[in-house]
Amino acid sequence: MSVTRTDEADQAPLLVMRTPRTLDIEITARCNLRCRYCYFFNNTAVEYRDLPTDAWLTFFDELGSLGVMTVTLAGGEPFIREDLSTLLEGLVRNRMRFSLLSNGGLIDDAIASFIARTGRCGLVQISIDGSCAAVHDTCRGHGAFEGAIRGIRTLQHHGVPVGVRVTIHRRNVHDLNNITHLLLDELGLPSYSVNAAGYLGTCRMNADDVLLTLAERQYAMATLSRLSAQYEGRITATAGPLADVHMWRRMEEARADGAPAFSNGGRLTGCGCPNKKIAVRADGAIIPCTMLAHCALGHINQDSLATVWQQSAVMHQLRRRPSIPLSQFAECAACAYQPYCTGNCPGLAYTITGQIDHPSPDACLRRFIEEGGTIL
Amino acid sequence: MAQMDTPIINPNVVLREEFDDWAVLFNPDTGDAEGINPVGVAVWKRMDGQRSLEEIVAEIYHSFADVPDAALDEISVFVDTLAEHGFVGYAVKENC
Repeated sequence: MSVTRTDEADQAPLLVMRTPRTLDIEITARCNLRCRYCYFFNNTAVEYRDLPTDAWLTFFDELGSLGVMTVTLAGGEPFIREDLSTLLEGLVRNRMRFSLLSNGGLIDDAIASFIARTGRCGLVQISIDGSCAAVHDTCRGHGAFEGAIRGIRTLQHHGVPVGVRVTIHRRNVHDLNNITHLLLDELGLPSYSVNAAGYLGTCRMNADDVLLTLAERQYAMATLSRLSAQYEGRITATAGPLADVHMWRRMEEARADGAPAFSNGGRLTGCGCPNKKIAVRADGAIIPCTMLAHCALGHINQDSLATVWQQSAVMHQLRRRPSIPLSQFAECAACAYQPYCTGNCPGLAYTITGQIDHPSPDACLRRFIEEGGTIL
Repeated sequence: MAQMDTPIINPNVVLREEFDDWAVLFNPDTGDAEGINPVGVAVWKRMDGQRSLEEIVAEIYHSFADVPDAALDEISVFVDTLAEHGFVGYAVKENC
């Protein structure tokens, strides 16, 4: 479906920061695991190769000159890089803070101690997908659970801020009570975040085995909603079943009450990232977001990041996305939830529909209800 | 050592100049960020450990139109607030 933009505001100059505040960097294309729902691997548009240390350090100098505040290093598995401490020193030298996304299995005392000493680490986020190896390792491989728990305890021992992300899929959806007990009671984490496997990368090859059915999604929403209340907000989500149930409850209440449209409702406002952050692939390609990895905008150390940020047509397209009314989409035209809907993630919209300027079908409340789902 | 009346920026703090001449100060050691207006930016750029607060204010009067009479007090509060949050320090001199 083609979209005609008629909003006059669409043509107005966009007020954009001179440079991004935050970068998501896939610092390596290597990983010690091969998870069945990994969003990163098996993207045919991506070249999986690593850059040498010097290339990243040169780029970090550029980030420092642009006043970038925080960088998240992911992969692949960032701890697989033998030069990780050198790279982190490059970030620290350029006055940035950093976070790391990891499976935990390669974290040892030496690197944990180093990270603690920098004083600049906001978070090391470890993926935990089960309360025991029998569940966690089903999608991540033998030994992954033991490594992840060891990684968490090592980071805790050295005083590094630790977070956990739980990705829900068909093999762990009925383990949520035990996972929560493990993370919040036994390991004593202040909180954890939760998402669900999405139709990206390797997951597309294993979708039937990984992606939640409607009944499982409904179960996850109910269970997480109950646990979130029981643990008083210590379970967080910006996407996935818990985020869906929170958002969809608000939308259903508003529809039932005939409430005015939400201030961000009725348009593709679901993502504000292009106004504050940008991403880089392991091969150095600058991309809008790790979920839009096919969309190369330039290359580090060859193209000015500030120029890409300010002048890229794709970045402009993403920033103007909130001006696109949902009423222009046939599937949204008669939807009673339209005034309260934001269209959700452009990355997921692209991977499902092939279009960025489109609402994400995965986040469609009307479709969820028509397929038999209910709002709790 | 005695503290002098010459404020000096924390060299680790990042000045991010955004649109409309406003800016964000970011302290990577604490993660704290503070938005500042164009006058604040001008003050920040003059806190080099050489100029006194009075000298900085005098330069602000010279550079901006319609600076209120209370500017010295307001800028003093601004600098003290930044100092409380680790964005700024004061130069010191050794006592003989």
